[in-house]
Amino acid sequence: MTAVTDQKNPTPGAQAIQIDGLRVSFGDFVAIPHLTFIARYGEVHGVIGPNGAGKTTMMDVITGKTKPKKGTVRLDGSIDLLGLDEPTIALAGVGRKFQKPSVFEALSVRENLEIALRLKPRSILAELRNWSDRRRVARVGEVLNEIGLSAQADLSAGVLAHGQKQWLEIGMLLMQRPKLLMLDEPVAGMTDEETSHTADLVRRLRSPERAVLVIEHDMAFVEEIADRVTVLHEGNPIFEGRMEDARQDAQVRAVYLGR
Amino acid sequence: MLPIRQFFARFFIPLVLVIAASLPANSQDRTAILAEICSGDFAAQQSALGQLASAGVEHGEAGANWARAIVDAFEGRDLRCGDGIAVIDGNAGPIMAETLEPTIGVDPEGLDAPSVNLRLRAVASSANAVLRLYTEAEAAERLSAASYIDRRREAATATNIGAALELETDPDVRAVLTTLRASLLLSDADPTNRIGAIEAIAEDATLRNRTTIAEAIKSETDAAVIASGETALASIDRTLAIGQVLATLYAGASYASVLFLAALGLAIIFGLMGVINLAQGELIMVGAYAAWFTQEAIRYALPGLLDYYLIIAIPVSFLAAALVGLIMEVLVIRRLYDRPLMTLLATWAISILLINTVRVTIGSQNLEFHQPGYVAGGFPIIGDFIMTSNRLFAIAIAVLAFIAVVVLLRKSLFGMNVRAVTQNRSMAGAVGIDTRRTDMMAFALGSGLAGLAGLALSPLYNVNPGMGTGFIVDSFMVVVLGGVGSLIGAIIAALGIGQINVIIEPIYGAVAAKVFVLLMVIVFIQWRPEGLFAPKGRR
Amino acid sequence: MANDQTAARVDSPLLFRIVAGTLFLLLISLPVLGGPLSGSSAGISPYLANIIGQIATFALLALALDLIWGFAGILSLGHGLFFAMGGYLIAMHMLKSGYVYGGVTPDIMTFMGWNELPSYWVLFESFPYAMLLILVVPGLVAFLYGYVSFRSRVSGVYFAIITQALTYVAMLLMFRNDTGFGGNNGMTGFTTLLGNDIGSSNLVIGLATTSVLVLLVAFLTCGALMRSPFGRLLIAIRDDEARLRFMGYDTLWPKLAVWCLSGVLAAIAGALYVPQVGIINPRLLSAEVSIEIAVWVALGGRGALSGAVIGAAIISALKFWLTGFVPELWPFILAGVVLLVVTLLPNGLLDLKLAMLRRPSRAKTRKASARPAA
Repeated sequence: MTAVTDQKNPTPGAQAIQIDGLRVSFGDFVAIPHLTFIARYGEVHGVIGPNGAGKTTMMDVITGKTKPKKGTVRLDGSIDLLGLDEPTIALAGVGRKFQKPSVFEALSVRENLEIALRLKPRSILAELRNWSDRRRVARVGEVLNEIGLSAQADLSAGVLAHGQKQWLEIGMLLMQRPKLLMLDEPVAGMTDEETSHTADLVRRLRSPERAVLVIEHDMAFVEEIADRVTVLHEGNPIFEGRMEDARQDAQVRAVYLGR
Repeated sequence: MLPIRQFFARFFIPLVLVIAASLPANSQDRTAILAEICSGDFAAQQSALGQLASAGVEHGEAGANWARAIVDAFEGRDLRCGDGIAVIDGNAGPIMAETLEPTIGVDPEGLDAPSVNLRLRAVASSANAVLRLYTEAEAAERLSAASYIDRRREAATATNIGAALELETDPDVRAVLTTLRASLLLSDADPTNRIGAIEAIAEDATLRNRTTIAEAIKSETDAAVIASGETALASIDRTLAIGQVLATLYAGASYASVLFLAALGLAIIFGLMGVINLAQGELIMVGAYAAWFTQEAIRYALPGLLDYYLIIAIPVSFLAAALVGLIMEVLVIRRLYDRPLMTLLATWAISILLINTVRVTIGSQNLEFHQPGYVAGGFPIIGDFIMTSNRLFAIAIAVLAFIAVVVLLRKSLFGMNVRAVTQNRSMAGAVGIDTRRTDMMAFALGSGLAGLAGLALSPLYNVNPGMGTGFIVDSFMVVVLGGVGSLIGAIIAALGIGQINVIIEPIYGAVAAKVFVLLMVIVFIQWRPEGLFAPKGRR
Repeated sequence: MANDQTAARVDSPLLFRIVAGTLFLLLISLPVLGGPLSGSSAGISPYLANIIGQIATFALLALALDLIWGFAGILSLGHGLFFAMGGYLIAMHMLKSGYVYGGVTPDIMTFMGWNELPSYWVLFESFPYAMLLILVVPGLVAFLYGYVSFRSRVSGVYFAIITQALTYVAMLLMFRNDTGFGGNNGMTGFTTLLGNDIGSSNLVIGLATTSVLVLLVAFLTCGALMRSPFGRLLIAIRDDEARLRFMGYDTLWPKLAVWCLSGVLAAIAGALYVPQVGIINPRLLSAEVSIEIAVWVALGGRGALSGAVIGAAIISALKFWLTGFVPELWPFILAGVVLLVVTLLPNGLLDLKLAMLRRPSRAKTRKASARPAA
């Protein structure tokens, strides 16, 4: 079912996602005029910027939800994502957590995790047979521990608290083992306690064969987790580097911090 | 209108006669004609009758009256001829044939009646009928005369029929005379005249005239006339084709108007609340029944205003449907906003309730609607295309409603609220817009528009409890095609679907039209799931 | 577009067993009570057996709709189309075999002045051929329409209305005489089915028993299927299809599979129904019939297979009883039931059960799903 299968193991520091000359517009409105962006393996990369900076649009393009007018998006330096549909992009190794927690509420926590793991072969029929595969069962147990929901494994996901749902969703992403993991405002609406638990989880997501992209408004949270930040303004990157440098940057202060 | 002809006949004609009688030229003509008719020579008598028949051409009604008196007398054998004198010896006593005044010193006893054979009698009857065209006050009499001439053409010429046609006001008589004159012209002995006739007839491009020319050139031998006839036919065909296209477009536009009104309401509600109102068709029915009730109430209370019931019903139909919509919204729909699929079932249940309530209380027969003059006739435009007033009424209602809705949505506070809630419900709620109230008002508005659709179609289609069911599918197709929340999209989609229906229906039948529309929409959704004119943006 | 949330994830096991048990009891008692014991006080008259058989086909139809609406969250307002397809195909078989083997000229030939039946009636005298078509034709139609719609992500209200439009067009086509399916009059005057006289009590009992059997088998099979990973995948599609796509699932195929399965089940129900009522005409394709199916499911509770069966049984039994003496009242009662269910019992009769049992885990689930759909 897929044209894209797993590639060779990535090396840390290599380019996980490479965006070149990207232009996205909706009717007359240009959301992203010309964007060039790179995220590398082994790093947690924060993307910040005021509302309308094009952060979510960028994610939409990478996951295939929005088709750009111009530009290229490459995964692993070789796979052109623009021609592919959402499921194929996901199977190529792009995972995404949405702003709103989206878990399958009528399924149990365990089933939510099970559904997220795609073993080979990945045709739908084979998938249904694979469901009881021992590797899957073991992996589900591991992730349940990791996200701290072992006790709730057999509850409906619908009854979980808001924070627990967010963690479950991160757990589902862990099951997917994506090469590029994108989190859209993972701590929005969380209590301080939940935020610090989430920060722990995100730090644990960092791995040499994975690039993590975090969109967030919460400066403190980004500073805590990100190795590198990019500041977007009206679809243009105006800063890239370490968070503490970003705070000093005059342009960044002007458009974002110094509001 | 007091028949002017009658008025003239009573008061002016005697006066004119006196004046006319004293005119020497006229007097000379009359003397010559009377001499001919008294001559006893068949050819001369025939020529005289011909001249008499054409008396109305030059001398109008006055001349025709005189001529008719002579022809009547000749036919009834009351005419007496002497040497240079002619007298009519009727029941009212002898009168001079030239002046129609009582005779002085002339004794009709010694004079002879000119001979009348069968052929002359036929010419005389025909001449009499021609003259009746000029002199009769009643349209029915003139119509009977015209149809008599159509059978007995002895005294009829293109000229005397043409002159009568110019004076004629009654459409039925005009129609007969027009054809008659055309066929008289076409049987003229001179080919040049026949060509002229063809050209004259071709100026009025109707199917009837096309048939007349086609018939004429079938038996024609002169090449030039045939060529001219074929050119004329081609030109008529072009005009007829244009008329046909316009008539189809016009019929399509009127169906589209009804569709547009229903779909506009559907689209506003769907855009705002994500709800498809399956009872929209029944709200159309409510609008039509409200129009009927208005008519009955006026008939009972103010019969003089009956002709204006369609105008008075505009607010009534709108408000009646809007009220039903309002009740629906408050009692049922508002509980279901986050469950659009359940709303389908609920609105369907309401439609069943409405249909059966009407069926039980009023009955399931078609309602009788009074047709006021302003929706009965039409304006001939080109070829056989008549812009009928009942369709014009539907189009006018749609245009007015469209303008009103545009103004309402663009300029009013309510319209701003509707647009705000459509775009972002929670944000609109957060900035203090009463979304519940907005929903309620918009639902009533959408329902009221369906009510107007019901009013607009009442002079066009049958009105009965089940009338709405056919509309919901087409209306929804308009919403899908036009895109939610786009007024222009709704117009273009309604026109498109309306036109497809009327274009395909006569050729392949109504079913084919529906199949085609459905397939088109399914294919269309493949290409643009958001509709033709959906506002672009991030979704 | 948001799909309506359903509280029931899968059936309550207890209710599921009760329904399966009842069906099983009916299955073994029908041939006995309707056959040898028919005349006795405990017996079932052919009339009652016929009604039970009809209700079983309605329940099967409701089951078919629940598969796609309750589980995958796709509402079809055009399941009458598949039901009618099964009905028309079996009617063609019965008329053709009566003509070929019994020498009975179908009314449709007399009416249309045909000397022979049109070419697409060929082979219809063969029962296996007719059975094959009953599975293949609706399956193919479901596949084509489903593929086109799901591929372009038509869903929710759009999908529902377009299914209704499709059924409406099919009704218009069937109303025409020249399509060769009996037009307005439909098809009736069946004489035999598999060598049995139509109307003979043997066939009545046999058809009723077969209907209950097919219903029971479908009920158990679908129950197992919905508890399987496939069922979970469908529920995931219902809850958040976009999320599933971002996890690498192409949701087209599972949706298409369950849609086709549902269409074929509905066609089988139609094929069992028509020999029991002895007539089929285009009115089976009217919007009312299709929406009534959805009402059965809504009343019983979406996403609970036992609910669908119970809902269909209650409403159609009520309809049989009421239309017997006050047919004018039925539309009002049906509309009233719908309004009651959608406004007060969003999960159908399950809500009543929940209210009575007050089981904490259930209550919790319900509370969670009462949240507006995203």
